[in-house]
Amino acid sequence: MRSNPADYEMIAPGSLYAIVSLLAKEPGVWVPIAGGTDVMVQYAAGKLPARKLVSIWNLPELRRIEVTAEEIRIGAGCTYTDLRRHEIVGSEFPLLRSAARWTGGVANQNRGTIGGNIVNASPAADSLPALLVYDSELILVSIRGERRLPYATFHTGYKKTLLATDELLQAVCLPRRFSGYFSHARKVGARNAQAISKVCIAALGHLGHGVVEDVRIALGSVAPVPLRLTETEKIVRGKAIDSELLLLARNAVADKIQSIDDIRSTARYRAAVAGNLVAEFLNRLSSEQPGAERGDGVLARWNGSSVDEATQAILPCCGSKAWAQGMVARRPLADESALVATSNETWHSLTQSDWMQAFQSHPRIGESRPSSEEPQSPPAQSVEWSAQEQRDLADAEVAVKLALADANREYERRFNRIFIVCATGKSVPEILEILRRRLKNDAETELHEAGEQQRQITELRLRKWLQG
Amino acid sequence: MSDSRESLTKVEISFTVNGERKTVRAHPMERLLDILRQQFQLTGTKEGCGEGECGSCAVLMDGILVNSCLVPVLQAAGSNVVTIEGLAAGETLHVLQEAFLECGGAQCGICTPGMILAAVHLLNGTPNPTLEEIREGLSGNLCRCTGYSQIVEAVERAVHPRTTA
Repeated sequence: MRSNPADYEMIAPGSLYAIVSLLAKEPGVWVPIAGGTDVMVQYAAGKLPARKLVSIWNLPELRRIEVTAEEIRIGAGCTYTDLRRHEIVGSEFPLLRSAARWTGGVANQNRGTIGGNIVNASPAADSLPALLVYDSELILVSIRGERRLPYATFHTGYKKTLLATDELLQAVCLPRRFSGYFSHARKVGARNAQAISKVCIAALGHLGHGVVEDVRIALGSVAPVPLRLTETEKIVRGKAIDSELLLLARNAVADKIQSIDDIRSTARYRAAVAGNLVAEFLNRLSSEQPGAERGDGVLARWNGSSVDEATQAILPCCGSKAWAQGMVARRPLADESALVATSNETWHSLTQSDWMQAFQSHPRIGESRPSSEEPQSPPAQSVEWSAQEQRDLADAEVAVKLALADANREYERRFNRIFIVCATGKSVPEILEILRRRLKNDAETELHEAGEQQRQITELRLRKWLQG
Repeated sequence: MSDSRESLTKVEISFTVNGERKTVRAHPMERLLDILRQQFQLTGTKEGCGEGECGSCAVLMDGILVNSCLVPVLQAAGSNVVTIEGLAAGETLHVLQEAFLECGGAQCGICTPGMILAAVHLLNGTPNPTLEEIREGLSGNLCRCTGYSQIVEAVERAVHPRTTA
């Protein structure tokens, strides 16, 4: 049921002093409202218990970002747009910038505030894991004065906080000592903008002497409060990142999280994804230089090279010339995610014969030579990558290899082209099973399935390519 | 009975809408969306979800894109609001309105006003956006008809009227 506006009072005193005076006079009666992206949603649903609201929107005292040598102090009334536009947030706190980008669409970023996100204490808020790993502190203000406390202690339970009834969140302070760290943020949701996360991760780390010197990991949406994974961090710290460590880390994550079953996802799914996100972070950390965006050098050189050079350079990632030309025409590309997004777009804009050209640049699965009869052979890099992708096949049993060869032949008779599968990480029996399943597809379904597999192969190769 | 209660909590609020100074008596928690549609008969602004998820009610408030279903009218006091009705100059449509028409960027029309205002907001800050920036700029506006391609194309057309013609 929608609320009746006549039941509500709202005032806008216009100064911080007037607001904390009001909160002191009638503690717990007045509820602050900033950009309304949370309060107005409750109101629309008839679920806003408060009847008296005090507007803190656009209050100058709350909408400042102050930078000192030690820290950045962000006023609680700063919007996500303010955060996205701030130079120091962008350069030193990329996890917070990513969270600001992922929170809502543009209109909600223009009105939603970091303070609202903190005080509303939703375990799904994208910015909160970032604040945890950056060791943030909060400044709370009341007529009694200011107090400063670690953000990590602020949430005491589902939507419960240490904020006293006469207090207002004034600012959040982030120490400027993490700019050398490798950072990783990822949101898993139905879509990027506007969707509330099923699980999100914010993590920082740096390597030294081949081991993890420091690591800080936090997750959203897996517990009643945003969760810092201190035990997982302890297990990882001081160790080299290998498959054994990844397993230990995954188990530690699974032990720690009390996942939530709700409309957006199930506990089981969240627990599995949480483990994957931590493993993905550690994998990336192990292959990256702290502070440097992956593949910046490769991409910058490629953006600046001639059309012919750039086409030749990127062709090993996907054997379609039209794809390579399309990619080159869309330069400059800013980073890895722009590269992958542009590749996906280009791939889906191609004709069927372009797709065929890409398919033919691969060796038949289980063989080492490309299937194309054309005299022009694929680039050496492509052949080497094919060998890596099909690594598990090389060691497979002879009987399985023969079964695969038979199924390949059947596929080629039926669809008139070679079977394309993204083999990375798949065992031979798995591939055989996939091949047998896909033999039952009709022509159109199978074309799209093959196209999707090629798209995945291209994406993996683009990421390898960036590593130089 | 309800009359006396209503008049008790109503306040006088003034702001500018499409260049015209307006004053209303309203409850402070009334949504800007309802004031625009019901008091000013500016029904171009649509209500979709009513909870800030779809962007149909988007308007510009002091130049920034906001979902008017989430703005209590008291917070609009003193501001400068622009709705879809404020874009055309007399009979001359805004370049984005023209582009939406040309590219088939509107079908049922519910999302269109919010979509166009989101595009206006994008181009005000980023006059020459990339495809990705267009998509991101419109990502808070949902359309159930077009599949978005024609909408994105319309924004590109507005940016490069000759080259994509």
